[in-house]
Amino acid sequence: MGLLEIFDPVAAPRPIGIDLGTTNSLVARVRDGAPVAIRDCDGEALVPSAVYYDERGQVIVGREALRMAQAHPRETIVSVKRLMGRGASDPETARLGTIDFAAPTSPDEARTVRLRVQGRILTPVEVSADILRRLRELAEDEMRSVGGAVITVPAYFDDAQRQATKDAGRLAGLEVLRLLNEPTAAALAYGLDQKKNGLFAVYDLGGGTFDITILLLDDGVFQVRSTGGDSALGGDDMDRALGQVLLEHMGAADDPGPEVVRLALDAARRAKHALTDREEVALELPRVGGGSTTATVTRAELERLVAPIVERTGVACRRALRDAGIEASALDGVLLVGGATRVPFVRRYVRDLFGREPLADIDPDQVVALGAAIQADLLAGTGSTGEVLLLDVLPLSLGIETMGGVAEKILPRNTTIPAGARQVFTTYADQQTGFELHVVQGERELAADCRSLARFTLRGIPPMPAGMARLEITFHVDADGLLTVKAREVTTGIEQEVLVKPSYGLSDEEVERMLLDAIDHGEEDFERRKLAERRVEAERMLIATRGALAADADLLDASEQKAVEGALAELTVAVAAGSATLVQAKIDALDDATKEWAGRRMDRAIARAIAGKQLDEVDATVAHARGVDEQVAEHQARLPPGASPSQTGTGPTGEGS
Amino acid sequence: MTHDPFTVLGLEPRFDVDLAAAEVRHRELSRALHPDRYQGKPAAERRMALERAIEVNAAWRALRDPVTRAEALLAAGGVELDERAEPKASPALLMEMMELQEELAEVRGKRDAAGLRRLGEALRTRERELCARLAPAFAAARGDAARLRALLPAVGELRYLRRFFEAYAAAEEELAA
Ligand SMILES: Nc1ncnc2c1ncn2[C@@H]1O[C@H](COP(=O)(O)OP(=O)(O)OP(=O)(O)O)[C@@H](O)[C@H]1O
Ligand SMILES: [Mg+2]
Repeated sequence: MGLLEIFDPVAAPRPIGIDLGTTNSLVARVRDGAPVAIRDCDGEALVPSAVYYDERGQVIVGREALRMAQAHPRETIVSVKRLMGRGASDPETARLGTIDFAAPTSPDEARTVRLRVQGRILTPVEVSADILRRLRELAEDEMRSVGGAVITVPAYFDDAQRQATKDAGRLAGLEVLRLLNEPTAAALAYGLDQKKNGLFAVYDLGGGTFDITILLLDDGVFQVRSTGGDSALGGDDMDRALGQVLLEHMGAADDPGPEVVRLALDAARRAKHALTDREEVALELPRVGGGSTTATVTRAELERLVAPIVERTGVACRRALRDAGIEASALDGVLLVGGATRVPFVRRYVRDLFGREPLADIDPDQVVALGAAIQADLLAGTGSTGEVLLLDVLPLSLGIETMGGVAEKILPRNTTIPAGARQVFTTYADQQTGFELHVVQGERELAADCRSLARFTLRGIPPMPAGMARLEITFHVDADGLLTVKAREVTTGIEQEVLVKPSYGLSDEEVERMLLDAIDHGEEDFERRKLAERRVEAERMLIATRGALAADADLLDASEQKAVEGALAELTVAVAAGSATLVQAKIDALDDATKEWAGRRMDRAIARAIAGKQLDEVDATVAHARGVDEQVAEHQARLPPGASPSQTGTGPTGEGS
Repeated sequence: MTHDPFTVLGLEPRFDVDLAAAEVRHRELSRALHPDRYQGKPAAERRMALERAIEVNAAWRALRDPVTRAEALLAAGGVELDERAEPKASPALLMEMMELQEELAEVRGKRDAAGLRRLGEALRTRERELCARLAPAFAAARGDAARLRALLPAVGELRYLRRFFEAYAAAEEELAA
């Protein structure tokens, strides 16, 4: 368990796409050029995102777990996605539900929700990993060997929620190739299948989350123009609204036990589904203290309850249209994704909002996973759709807290990713050697009203008089939407050590520890796993380097070529030996020997992309080739008028000597 | 040090840059550099591609906005960009901006959507006119620092308008909610 299956001599590892949903999850893959959902032995593709933990530590995932929920509401975890990347005091923990939340015993513990299940403490990352493990097994049953996964996330997920999802993938023994936004995945599957071009809106209302994405489809290019949403808005909230009413019918409105809550929520969901096709439904409900009652719910009554929930989606949609700079009438189509868009009120609402009938030729349950499978196939290089390009965006603005608690935006929402920004700060105390930076995500003016991402502490700044040290801080958001921060002192050129303290979620060490716990033989297996991972990376490098030699050896002079071939040979030898450290050392050596060449090859690729057939332009572009160091995107530190640079820090860390 | 967005996208540096052509160029470069293309490649190559893809995205972002576009042209001509050192806005402009602020506060207070739309339209017209004046002025400066410096007040005005646009967008959001 937990080991990456890598060297299966029989089956070549194949990539998979996973829709890790609040209510339902799904795994898909590309077969004979077309994406297909992987089904279980009963022929079912949807796996309910429910996990039951029994008293002996056994884990059951899916339909069977759902059946346990009524009798074991505390031991069956549903909708865990709503808790991903959230802190112990998140409002979600106070909503109607059956989970037994463990109070944090330290500020460190408060960084994540903790669930008490069968006397154990579990985090949402571990529960999600159990779901992912089940999906992985399903895929392995069909394909023998799984070679990496694209996992989808709501477009509106913030950094902590994305990181938590990635951690869950790792914990489940999956190599996470990419986190892909759910609406983008849907558009990919739909657009490629229907060969559509134009401006589309994807309205994705699932069990737990809502996304709206406006994107342009143009001959294989999927360019997101804007995105918006709410990562705590979905069918679950409809169930809660109706469930509350049902609890009153049952005479159990105050302080109901988990069994009663589970019953009310399940009945609410059944009623909601029934009212999609019918005007009225009668529910037989037990009453507290014995007996039973029949509650009749009409569609009109449900609509009155869900209206405020659905109307919240309208605010996000209007903003997304504004951010995209278009009117609804400019759209060529509206795609409905997610099970909750089956609710007739939602359909009507979307039609009125966008002034058009949404497209019907789409499977709202599967389309996200199919898109993920296509993307996985493309990433693995096995896909034939070489012209596909996904350009996604940052869903929420990134900012840093400045003096006075104001969040200064460094990257606005809807910036195309990968994205970068650079800011220069100065020290403001003599001999100051440390510096702290608070990064937040969100649109509000005050940092305290945004979501805290992390505090970054810089250490080892060369002691200088105040204002002399100039710290250049580089922010990178990668294609998964995840942030990294680097810092350098400008005058000395010294790279600063950056300590990251995430505000929410698990630290790297915690994930490592969980990984170790998941492996039966601890250390020994851990070493084996490390070696296996290094070998994969080495194989990858060998193949890539040999390919590069075949294509671009002319960009090397004789001595460089000799160095590359030497490093190649040494790495080949190292792979056959059994030491992870040695393999890593030879990887680094090859990395070094090919660094400059890689730059030249990239320039050639760029020139080809730009010029197509115009060869003279190729040379002009190659002439623009620059050093690696300078290739970082720049965001000139532009301070608000009147502010002096030295006021912009968030406080010295008191390390001045 | 700063990477000129025109150079990054391989385009002729001009204020009235053809944005459609720039978009095409951005796509072509993204096709070559996007991290999706470097999956499974050695780490150094992935890092390098990531940094270049970031640069290409930043350049495209800079060119789309008239303020950053103007600033790029100024910087390329060797004009140092430091708002605090730039000439102060004219009293007439300050007065006008103050009046606009008051008008905005008023329509905001009255939740007057039509009034807000009118204000937004007026702002956009004002920006368009300013850009139409700046384009030939930038062309005539031919990258000469002294002549570019003479454009600083107009660029400052563009920045004022930008800030006002932000306040306007916030009001729009408030009214839509
Ligand atoms: N026929 C129906 N009528 C009304 N609601 C339905 C119907 N079928 C499914 N739903 C609702 O759709 C939701 C589940 O949708 P879906 O499977 O798309 O969500 P998910 O992908 O698991 O969640 P998310 O995308 O938010 O993480 C549930 O709230 C479910 O009750
Ligand atoms: Mg979904």
